Amino acid sequence: MNRRSFIHTAASVSLLAQAPYILAQKPGRKWRIALIGSGWWGKNILKQALASGQCEVVALCDADSMALEVAVEQVNELSGDKPKRYKDYRELLEKEKPDIVIIATPDHWHALQTIAALKYGSHVFVEKPTGHTVNESRAMLKAAQDSGRVVQVGLHRRVGPHHVNAMKFLKSGAVGEVGMVRIFAHGGGGREQPQRNSEPPESLDWDLWCGPAPKRPFNGKLHPGGWRNFLDYANGTLGDWGVHWLDQVLMWTDEKYPKRVYSTGGRHIAGAAVLNDREQTSDAPDHQVAVYDFEKFTCVWEHRRFAENSAEKHKIGAYFYGTKGTLHIGWQDGWTFHPSRDSDKMLHEDSQLQQPDGHNLKILWDDFITAITDKKYPAAGIELAHRSSVLPLLGMISYKVGRSINWDGTKEQIIGDPSANALLSRPYRDPYTYPTV
Amino acid sequence: MTLHRPRVNFFQSIVGIIALLLIIGHGLCSAVHAEDWIQWRGPNRNGISPESKWLNQWSDGGPTILWKATVGMGFSSFVVSNGKVFTMGNADNSDTVFALDAMTGIIKWKHTYPSDLGDKYFEGGTTGTPTIDGDNLYTLSRWGDVFCFQASTGKILWTRNVQVETGARVPSWGFTGAPLVIEKMLILNVGETGLALDKSTGKTLWQSSTKEAGYTTPVPWVTGGKSQVVFGSGQGYIGVDSLSGKEVWRMKWVTQYGVNAADPVIDGDRLFISSGYGKGAALIKPLASVEPELVWKSKVLRTQMNAAVLFDKHLYGIDGDTTEKPLLKCVELATGAEKWSDSTSGTRGLLIANGRLILLGEKGELIIAPASPSGFKPTSRAQVLGGKSWTAPILANGMLFCRNSRGEVVNVDLRTAATP
Repeated sequence: MNRRSFIHTAASVSLLAQAPYILAQKPGRKWRIALIGSGWWGKNILKQALASGQCEVVALCDADSMALEVAVEQVNELSGDKPKRYKDYRELLEKEKPDIVIIATPDHWHALQTIAALKYGSHVFVEKPTGHTVNESRAMLKAAQDSGRVVQVGLHRRVGPHHVNAMKFLKSGAVGEVGMVRIFAHGGGGREQPQRNSEPPESLDWDLWCGPAPKRPFNGKLHPGGWRNFLDYANGTLGDWGVHWLDQVLMWTDEKYPKRVYSTGGRHIAGAAVLNDREQTSDAPDHQVAVYDFEKFTCVWEHRRFAENSAEKHKIGAYFYGTKGTLHIGWQDGWTFHPSRDSDKMLHEDSQLQQPDGHNLKILWDDFITAITDKKYPAAGIELAHRSSVLPLLGMISYKVGRSINWDGTKEQIIGDPSANALLSRPYRDPYTYPTV
Repeated sequence: MTLHRPRVNFFQSIVGIIALLLIIGHGLCSAVHAEDWIQWRGPNRNGISPESKWLNQWSDGGPTILWKATVGMGFSSFVVSNGKVFTMGNADNSDTVFALDAMTGIIKWKHTYPSDLGDKYFEGGTTGTPTIDGDNLYTLSRWGDVFCFQASTGKILWTRNVQVETGARVPSWGFTGAPLVIEKMLILNVGETGLALDKSTGKTLWQSSTKEAGYTTPVPWVTGGKSQVVFGSGQGYIGVDSLSGKEVWRMKWVTQYGVNAADPVIDGDRLFISSGYGKGAALIKPLASVEPELVWKSKVLRTQMNAAVLFDKHLYGIDGDTTEKPLLKCVELATGAEKWSDSTSGTRGLLIANGRLILLGEKGELIIAPASPSGFKPTSRAQVLGGKSWTAPILANGMLFCRNSRGEVVNVDLRTAATP
């Protein structure tokens, strides 16, 4: 979405009679914000909101009352705010009607919560990837466009200083013509032993936590944390780390989507996924390769959760392979340019990360607030983030069906493959309804 | 290396007798070698070694490493008894309990059983430490397997999985607290306020609700003439009557992920508690039937795992989680006033012996410094391990046992001519 189309959708807001008009903020009044999903990362975002001095936390929501209690205490210590506690986000939205809602739940909840918050007129900061399936993400995009509210997605690498500078360098032509990009996230691990299922924590409403997704037997591997490697609730490392680096690729290229996607991988080291009444393992691949065919270049994703050692210099990031050299953009290791010609200088810039998140949430939060107040398109707005989020989701579809998929990015359909196309959505568990585009 | 003949001088035997009396005072009764380290946090469960004669200075080459061994992934500390050192580790999704010859590192016996590595947000592996009681060795796995071994032979006297049998919820990172022996009972931090077994048969004596346990060792506390056990639980610190398991008091203390892992530190009728994840610390005075009196509460010490050591009215402890650079701090117990803070040592594990801090840094650096509120002034340093260490080292008979997460164990020889 460009600036003009944003203004256009903003103008359509007046049509939404049910949503209070809160695009602009009166001086001296703080934004009334609520957090849905009050775990570690949600609180990291919340801390940036509080640090801005422009926000008052009015409500916190979590399916786990312990997480809620810890979060309430921390907010109180940080700001003196006394947020109300909610287990169910629907009740929170109905009663509080916050100006801004932060959504940091597992992926399978993003769509319903984002759409509901927009319906109540809130601006939304939602974690990446946008949806758990492609059509959820499309529904989120549409809801955002219809509402005229600002939706920022947690793709902080869009604004991280070393990413921004590396992109400037890349776009200046200093790397030459780039024909291939390799993006990756590697870590350690090994064979995964099943863990016994158990009663959910006494403080947790497990049924609510599972929400529209399948309800697995509770297992300590899933919560707190851990759910990213369960495909019912997330999309493994490709959905977690992959989306950041695929987003970097889209930030660089003029192309909006790939024409073909192929992915393979498996659990050759972790072992076959286990799920029965007694015990379970995770089921995300322990390694995966996904190839994205664009018109002018090929992008290859790789992740591996084993064989962590010093053989490879960088464990996380993107290599842009150009005719003048290779640019590595990393995380803590900043960016480095390795020139092809010996006479050219290697260039490097350190990362500039912020605490406590170790990334750049502050900049992304400030950008979000600026977008609301100045009616600007945010740095990681929903349209851009939707396109970036679709890429790992397509990779996962190819991984599941075991073949290449041809992608029509304008219609957002997989071409000539009905069974793969069916995976753009998934059935929701009763009584939840899959959002319509 | 020639072996030293045991020599016990008068002073040391007095120390040994005092230690033994203290242990008996806590209801423990074991045949303890003068300088054995039979349980988590040492003979007196306070992180202080009674040893006074040990090498606190060495040449540039560092102290002698008597031997090295490998025991598998994990963070279990050590116990030492009758010439053997015991610890645990995980490899190929199995835990192994090791009995190594303390002098040579040779495996005297070991026992392996299936157990998930459990590498959720860390390397995984064993996290609990065994406990010695006479010739019995008790272990608790992260998933509830309890073993009673004959320490001398490795023979299994009894075993059961208390998680399966009681339905106790497994806390996110599994059961961690070392078993506690009080008289005839073996007390475990399993369930909301513990589980007591008959130490000879493994039969359940009392149990608590199935709510989440915390990660501390059950800490014995005699107060008002009554024997209590204090648990860091999922939602707070809770004191129970040791004989009945009945709750006496409760301090609500919610921490991220329910991680109350640092043992409470006892000072008479007061307890010092601390948790990480930004939580902080408090000095409390538990009273029967009512909420404990809060003496002070602050963020001065946010201890994620290894508890502070109280020495001469000051706490020496670790502030900061494993995701950040740890600070070693000296804090006045009575007031919570910070006396000094050091960011250079990277301390993850510590003990005090003869008025000196023995610190093991995250990157395996051993540091000795006087335990003094006047400042942190290291006197000796040595790189004794590579990799990552979060485990508190222990000192037994002049030998310091250290490990890293990969399970590399070193016996650092700190014996002097006078060491028994």
